[in-house]
Amino acid sequence: MSPAPHDVPPANATFRQRVRCFFGERLGLESLTALAAKKHVPIHRATVFYFLGGMALFLFGIQVITGILLALYYKPSPDQAFESVRAIMTEVDYGWLIRSIHSWSANLLIGVLLLHLLTTYIMRAYRRPREFTWITGVFLLGLFMAFGFSGYLLPWNQLAFFATRVGTGIMGAVPFVGHELLLFARGGENVTGDTLARFYAVHVVILPLAVFALLGLHLYLVQKHGMSIPPWAAAKVGGERNVPSMPFVPHFLLRDMVGWYIALGILAALAALFPWELGHKADPFGSAPQGIKPEWYFLAMFQTLKHLPQHVLGIEGETVGVLFFNFCGLVVLLIPFVDYRAAQGRPRHLLNLLATLVVVGFIVMTAWGLLEK
Amino acid sequence: MTVIPRFLPSMLLAALVAGPVCAADEPPAHKPDEKALRAPALKDKVPLVEKENKCILCHGEKDLWEGERRRLYVSDKDLAGDIHWQKGLRCYDCHGGDSTTTDISKVHSEKAKFLTLKSRKNIPELCGRCHSDINYMRQYQPSMRTDQLAEYRTSGHGKRLEATGDPQVAVCTSCHGGRHHIYAVHDLESPVYPTHVSKTCATCHSDPKIMEGRQYHGRPLGHNQYEEWKQSVHGKALLEKGDRSAPSCNKCHGNHGALPPEIGSVANACGACHAKVAGLFANTQMKHKFEEVGLPGCATCHSNHLIRQPSDEMLGMGEDATCSKCHAQGQHGATLAGAHVARTLRAELDDLSQLIAEAETKTAEAERLGMEVSGPRFDLRKAVDARVNARTLIHSFDPGPVGRALAEGKQAASEVKERAEGAMHEYTARRVWLAVSLVPIAVVVLLLLVYIWRLPIPAATTANAPGDPTPEGRPPDNMERGTI
Repeated sequence: MSPAPHDVPPANATFRQRVRCFFGERLGLESLTALAAKKHVPIHRATVFYFLGGMALFLFGIQVITGILLALYYKPSPDQAFESVRAIMTEVDYGWLIRSIHSWSANLLIGVLLLHLLTTYIMRAYRRPREFTWITGVFLLGLFMAFGFSGYLLPWNQLAFFATRVGTGIMGAVPFVGHELLLFARGGENVTGDTLARFYAVHVVILPLAVFALLGLHLYLVQKHGMSIPPWAAAKVGGERNVPSMPFVPHFLLRDMVGWYIALGILAALAALFPWELGHKADPFGSAPQGIKPEWYFLAMFQTLKHLPQHVLGIEGETVGVLFFNFCGLVVLLIPFVDYRAAQGRPRHLLNLLATLVVVGFIVMTAWGLLEK
Repeated sequence: MTVIPRFLPSMLLAALVAGPVCAADEPPAHKPDEKALRAPALKDKVPLVEKENKCILCHGEKDLWEGERRRLYVSDKDLAGDIHWQKGLRCYDCHGGDSTTTDISKVHSEKAKFLTLKSRKNIPELCGRCHSDINYMRQYQPSMRTDQLAEYRTSGHGKRLEATGDPQVAVCTSCHGGRHHIYAVHDLESPVYPTHVSKTCATCHSDPKIMEGRQYHGRPLGHNQYEEWKQSVHGKALLEKGDRSAPSCNKCHGNHGALPPEIGSVANACGACHAKVAGLFANTQMKHKFEEVGLPGCATCHSNHLIRQPSDEMLGMGEDATCSKCHAQGQHGATLAGAHVARTLRAELDDLSQLIAEAETKTAEAERLGMEVSGPRFDLRKAVDARVNARTLIHSFDPGPVGRALAEGKQAASEVKERAEGAMHEYTARRVWLAVSLVPIAVVVLLLLVYIWRLPIPAATTANAPGDPTPEGRPPDNMERGTI
């Protein structure tokens, strides 16, 4: 296959042009440049919501880099895990910074993803033909929550150990397959070194592979269908084609970068001012510490399960709770199909009411869990 | 009750035959709480009145015994708590006689081998009949000691009983619960249960009337031992903390062979628990000097019953220091060189304590600031352990090993302090680092914003998807310049 005419530098080309042609000929950069030039971002009142996807991507990048650095020193065994994390915090140069950024960034990432999900819902960006963009996004949120759950145990401290015991114990409440799920999650009846090894493998191998695959699909779909314009923004100017936009490169990318730099500053400040705690080494034979709580994004579910009556309609309360949350997750996943008339701009009053209840419930239960001693 | 008139003459005879037993002049024994006595269920299992044990028909009737004879009455409660009764032993097992008949001439006859406790001296012998016989005792408890009587004969109590027949001297029943309610030693209600022993001894030894005029090797025995012991580190450990490893009277004085330790063996008594200290002390010149001048080893500095929690203040030549009591005035041949050693060791020990306190303060401060200092905090134990070791080695009165232990502690404490200070410096450095790193970030953000503001958005751009090859629409006029 002969090179494209524009990949051949003219005789009087500058050094820069020659380098560009060299790589262009070999890597096909021209097509990428053309793709970037075509991509535009709509400008309307909710344009700021578009930054959330980029912000999540940036934070994920931070997670990958800091995660790789931590993996250089972390030792996934009950005898050494806690000590290795302590060594990272105290002996490895800037280890405290890397671990704190990794932990803070993980929490910010979940927060940004939840906001991304909510704003996407508000903009009805899931409507035809973007159903699979939504579905891959919901799965990605689930994967990142699994990242958080599996990573929480890795320092093998007291709080993480018992929180994992409670968390995996909840899996046992799933009807019919609960016990098998529990065994699968723990690698046995109890949280042990096997659980730690399993969680480590899930955290650094299985989840990253799954996320990269799903993220690739998600980004492809975003690229394929373009940025969704909220119906009300399009209606305001007489149709989607009249909505003004800006080129993604460099205009939107530069704005994205402002957000990323600010996020970097916030992460640095959080890591320096509130370094992530290490706690005390897990003692499987000790008693559970008082006020044991999971990470904040699981707190609403945990709090609900904790305060459910022992039996609801003759069924065990915890089982009812787990089934309810699974049902909620399924509804969220299938929203594009539940709100199938979104493309026609039909109202969705019932769905909005339920969504409001879920959001308010999430905030109230999380706040309750945080404040409860 | 219908049997009483019929047996009344027999009972009166029995009372006469029984003779003067020791009960009337026996020292008061520990009185167990009646509520804690054996439950009725046990009584049901061991009926007090049995066909083959007719003694109880008379001796179990309170109304038959009056005045001095009341001692011959045996109550249900007495027997219910009695280990012998629980094990199946009956009146005749200790007292002999014929319990199968109500004929008074046969019951207490010599032919029936009825034993008369003519004096208090007979009690140890009576108990010893079984308790010194391993073949007999083996059937109840194979590992049970059978040397109690032999030991008792060597004790202060036993010797006094033998020599003078002192009616107030302790015999078996004095300590083990009384004549007919002898508790098992491991019974929580037993007067010789570890937490009760000292109080049991105190029933006599804290009574000024009983102890008046009593001496040992020419020294008055006194009556304040229990009160002193209660305030001692040992008494508090046992009575307040329930630490059963803490010694009460019998751990130092022996139990059946109870005697005050001799001057030369005080250290051995303490060494039963404080083995390392006793070992160190045994190899010192101080020990021999103490023996020469009649000072009672450990008790010279630590007292005997009122043993306080040792402190560093005891060392050195200060007012409260025990060393100064001899070394300041050269008493008992104490030297000035010894005073110098005591002063030096105290100064070095204080230095180490000061260093440990500083390291603790710095570590706590670093921890309060959110720094991870669990490593240094753990290592601080090395310094604390070295101080404990040095305090122990002081009993060798040799500056060499004490100095080495102190040096080891100082090094560990210094390292911890240094690491804690390092953590605090890092805390400051992190803030500086944060400030320094935020400046370039802020500058870059500012430059980006300026650049964005100056970068015009191209006209004729619409919100088309990349898949849409024919973009249409125009941006509003006010979008010519970049907006944020």
